[in-house]
Amino acid sequence: MKKLTLFITAILFSISVFAHGPTPQKVQESVTVNVSLDKAWGLVKDFGAIDKWHPAVKDTKIEKRGEDTYRILTLESGDKLEEKFRSIDEDLKKIKWEITKGKVPFTDFNSYMIVTKGANANESIIQWTSRFYRTYKLNPPIPEGQDDATAKAAVQGIVDNGIAGLKKTLESK
Amino acid sequence: MNFTSQKKILITLLLILLITIFSICLSNAKGESFAYITNQGEDTVSVVNLNDLTVHKKIDVGDSPLGIAIIDSKELAIIGNVDSQNLSIIDLKINEVIKTIKLDTAPLGLAPNPSGGEVFITSWFKNQVLVLSTKDFSVTQTFNVGVTPSGIAFNKKYNFIVITSRDANLVEIYNATNYSLKKKIKVGSHPYGISTSDEFIYVANVYDDTISIINIKNWEQKVIKVGLRPYNVISYKDKAYVTNAQGDNISVIDLNTFKEIKKINTGETPENISVDKLHGNLIVSNWGSDSITTIDIKTLKALKQIKTGLQSRAFGQFIYTK
Repeated sequence: MKKLTLFITAILFSISVFAHGPTPQKVQESVTVNVSLDKAWGLVKDFGAIDKWHPAVKDTKIEKRGEDTYRILTLESGDKLEEKFRSIDEDLKKIKWEITKGKVPFTDFNSYMIVTKGANANESIIQWTSRFYRTYKLNPPIPEGQDDATAKAAVQGIVDNGIAGLKKTLESK
Repeated sequence: MNFTSQKKILITLLLILLITIFSICLSNAKGESFAYITNQGEDTVSVVNLNDLTVHKKIDVGDSPLGIAIIDSKELAIIGNVDSQNLSIIDLKINEVIKTIKLDTAPLGLAPNPSGGEVFITSWFKNQVLVLSTKDFSVTQTFNVGVTPSGIAFNKKYNFIVITSRDANLVEIYNATNYSLKKKIKVGSHPYGISTSDEFIYVANVYDDTISIINIKNWEQKVIKVGLRPYNVISYKDKAYVTNAQGDNISVIDLNTFKEIKKINTGETPENISVDKLHGNLIVSNWGSDSITTIDIKTLKALKQIKTGLQSRAFGQFIYTK
């Protein structure tokens, strides 16, 4: 019975990951860090190093599946999150990834970070943009905890903590 | 003042007059085109003048505007507001909202018929298509379609409406006069944007990273690999253009060989695309960088990026040419 419940939950969850309502949400934040472009980009592009700078991530494990690269995050809360590496652009200093598995109050999460030059050689700007949807995809009324505001607040927290962590890690080295 | 200098002044004045008249005629003949870009994150529509590539105006509309239809014959733009579940009608002569129409459903895609008398609208939550009259802006008909109806297009030659039923992985074709179902066609996973030429139907299969090109004569389907998460596809002359939302580029497809011949970088998260025929450019809306990108059709090179508004989408044919 327990296995069946788990199985049903898994199916329900995978549906919620792959179907969404009509309005994608966006969280975009930037931070200026007092390190060189190369140093900032060096940390940002290291897909397996997120536990070094994101305060909510305790541990990262890189997994290769065929040609695809995943990172399995163990969060401070004990929960696991699986993310898939999408692409890297050395010219634009841009890295892209998406969440593929995890207990989160949003769906279809895609993210990218871009590192650009700051006002001088020892200054860089890191921008983090996320695109996602709320979990409830049907017509209003929307159940509490499954709406746009809940999804947005959760991602805002992840991004805000993340860029603050990036600044702290980069500038303390 | 002697006669010669008088004559000189007269000739000069005449020349200035002639040049003025000539340049007015020239600019009238050349015309003007504008892109109407729905900014879903700030409830506005940006009007971009495509002659000088500047933002001419921002118009406040309803909540979370997405879809757009330009009705050339009536000089109107119809904007679909997803979260306020209504339509904003913009008069293109004055660039102001002249009417708001309540719908009680989220409008997704909009497609006008060739006369501009009617606009067909996919009704996301109710699994219907609404028929809006542009005479009095009333919904004159609704008919049931497949689940999560998204993209919509009108085929003039065969008088049909074609929609994507996103979560069913289907394309559905309806007679545009009596709204009877003509055909269902299985396509790739998560079909979203759709368009049609006289002979073909073009569909973006978002989760497969492919497009389907369906031959209307025999319903044969060609599947072509494109970039990451294609959102929409249009055709113009001998090519098709695909916005790869997660690839930050567009794919150019040669319609003689049905092969991708090029990828062109755009802004972040390009979603929709229209042709500015007046200037020979493609215009792409970039959701991620809140901008549009212009691309030269001849050289297939990106020319310029222009800031529009937060989360620019513009789902539909969004260019108006005067």
